[in-house]
Amino acid sequence: MDLSFSEQQEMLRKTARDFLLRQSPPSTVKQLECNAKGYSTQIWAEMVGLGWMGLALPEEYGGSGASFFDLVMLLEEMGRVVLTSPFFTTVVSCGMPILYAGDEKQKREYLPKIVEGSVILTLALTEPAGGYDGDGIETTVHEEECALIVEGTKLFVPYAHVADAILCISRMADKKRGDRFCLLLFDAKSRGVAFNKLDSISLEKQYELILDKVHVPKVDLLGGKTMDWMAIEELLSWSVVGKCAEMLGGAERVLEITADYAKQRVQFGRPIGSFQAIQHRLADMAIDVLISRLLVYDAASKLSQGLSCSKEVASAKSWVSNAYPRVTKAGQQVHAGVGFIIDHDMPLYFRHAASARVAFGDSDYHRGKFAVEIGLSNRGRKSSATEG
Amino acid sequence: MDFEYSELEETFRSQVRSWLKEQLNPYLEAEMEAWSYGRAPADGPGPHLRQFVLNLGAMGWLGMDWPQAYGGQGRSLIEQFIVYEELISHRAILPNFEALMMVGPTILRYGTEDQKRHYLPRIARGEIEFALGYTEPQAGSDVAALEMRAVEDVGNYVISGQKMFNTCCHYADYHWLAARTDFSVPKHRGISLFIVDLKSPGITIRPLWTMAGGRTNEVFYDDVRVPKENLVGEKNRGWSYMLAALDYERVVGFGFSITEAQTTFYELVQYVKMTKRGRTILAKNPLVRHKLAKLAIKLRGGWLLRRQTTWNLDNGIPLSYETEALKIFATETSQQLVDAAMEILGPLGQLRQSSKWAPLQGRIETGYRACVMYTFGGGSSELMRNLVAIKGLGLPIM
Repeated sequence: MDLSFSEQQEMLRKTARDFLLRQSPPSTVKQLECNAKGYSTQIWAEMVGLGWMGLALPEEYGGSGASFFDLVMLLEEMGRVVLTSPFFTTVVSCGMPILYAGDEKQKREYLPKIVEGSVILTLALTEPAGGYDGDGIETTVHEEECALIVEGTKLFVPYAHVADAILCISRMADKKRGDRFCLLLFDAKSRGVAFNKLDSISLEKQYELILDKVHVPKVDLLGGKTMDWMAIEELLSWSVVGKCAEMLGGAERVLEITADYAKQRVQFGRPIGSFQAIQHRLADMAIDVLISRLLVYDAASKLSQGLSCSKEVASAKSWVSNAYPRVTKAGQQVHAGVGFIIDHDMPLYFRHAASARVAFGDSDYHRGKFAVEIGLSNRGRKSSATEG
Repeated sequence: MDFEYSELEETFRSQVRSWLKEQLNPYLEAEMEAWSYGRAPADGPGPHLRQFVLNLGAMGWLGMDWPQAYGGQGRSLIEQFIVYEELISHRAILPNFEALMMVGPTILRYGTEDQKRHYLPRIARGEIEFALGYTEPQAGSDVAALEMRAVEDVGNYVISGQKMFNTCCHYADYHWLAARTDFSVPKHRGISLFIVDLKSPGITIRPLWTMAGGRTNEVFYDDVRVPKENLVGEKNRGWSYMLAALDYERVVGFGFSITEAQTTFYELVQYVKMTKRGRTILAKNPLVRHKLAKLAIKLRGGWLLRRQTTWNLDNGIPLSYETEALKIFATETSQQLVDAAMEILGPLGQLRQSSKWAPLQGRIETGYRACVMYTFGGGSSELMRNLVAIKGLGLPIM
């Protein structure tokens, strides 16, 4: 057991906190929402300069060879300022699966470009059926002689309008081997690709992606193979934990903002933070944040070390997806009217929480997965009763 | 950042585990069962339990982190906690937690050389037990308001007054007593700590029976003479010593309720996998699965928090509000677990151990009654939340 951070990690946290607060304060986030691009190319370029794109990528692809845990620390800092950027979808949702499941040619093609910031990638996962598991995937791939034909509709695809390539989770039409899925990594400008902006609670730009008989070269099948849903979920682990880290950062910031406000706001002749009714609400927020941090770090640490950690990952997302909205809700209650006004920073966090809680599986979904992990399965699926 | 035990620590854990399995027998387990959920039975520890504690002391597994000069092993607090974790996950009980986790460390830090030599080795051998003497009828959450009076009188302190809910007094050897030595200063600055032989003339101990089926006590001091050398640390500095020791109580006394709850949880999981309600196995009921998964994740969170707290204590990293947060989280989760278990067991959940129909040996029914104490014993959740807000977040005191 070692719960310390290395000197480099402390440094990374400090650099990230200073940079993000300076370059992407809440006022910037609010401005970017009205901007068609939805993110700042200048901040993007500066993040490239700081080496953040390739933080968790090996040196042979131009990365800095740090651990996934370091990336998680960075995402936590990004969550603190609710950074709106295609960073997450490019580096975490696409970069990590390409690194772990891509073939050598795919890795050589995309990873160095991710590092130098010259490519934006996006993950196309969720569909109109709205579920989180393989049953909800209806986007289908037909195998033809010279190409793979993909057809379907994806929703909530982040930054599709600026993406150079799309990593699309699809189902194989051929059912001979049961339910098989694949990841296709294809040019976003391919013929048959169309997208429409979704108006949503999210601070980030999200798109409907229509794939109308898109011809994808066979070499664009990630890793050259199909897989079952469990393998797909493993490739989503980095996104799940990364999203948790972002949410953790947001929750931490809400706690700080709210505690500060409770110390300053005077009613009935004294700071409202001296009332036990307010103190207890803040204490509960603090505990929610504390437990979130522990569950996220534990999952991130195991994932980073390549240990099997489906229980830890499910615990983290299940908990944080409840805790973060609970914390923002409590923060809103303490702020009352002033936090309800759009100029305030609180609505940013409230909306971030609402969107992040349903990304990559909500609380119930991950609780269900956890139940399977401790041997409580309602399907005949094989499960391991793990103790401890 | 790594929450897992090192290989060395894991090896130690399996050593403890196999030793423990050799020690446990039905007589010992029956004696221990009466202590479950922090209860103290009417007669104190039985012969098997007393022997077990001596055996544990002989292994060097009590006061492990204390210096060898005072009967310890100079090992880490983490290793000591591994012993506790193993004990509790086998439903084994240590009746002298207070001596080990509150009295020992305080004597080590503030006691005289004579006190260290006199008490610590005997605690580490498992020979003596202490009972806490803080709470009074008028000093509950506001424990600094205590009124028990200690007056100096040639070589002695003469102590009078009443204590309440002093749980282990009816079998412990010593009272770890907080009394007021100065009435002229603000309440926190006039308290001193004493070690009192519970067989001293003038002490009367009366039982209070709890709805958990255990015993606690009210204790009366009528001009009890306590030698001056039994004063712990400096006169009138007792409050600060009490606060330091409370961190340990929250971690060990209540933080370990997480391990107890995890043990109950796994028994419950086995139960729902094997038990039918109507025609369906309970584990197939989505409501049951959902409840259990939710609790398991909370238990995991609490378990990580205890590891974090332990690690901080072991590495001398200052604690902010972690122990209070742990106390709140662990005890509330323990209550939620027995509450959910009562719902899952349905009408059968009412049955006590002696009934042949009682599921899980009636432990849920016991826990349901006993866990009620967890959120006010050792400082109420409300007080803990005040401390999280004030100590941790810097909110103003009213």
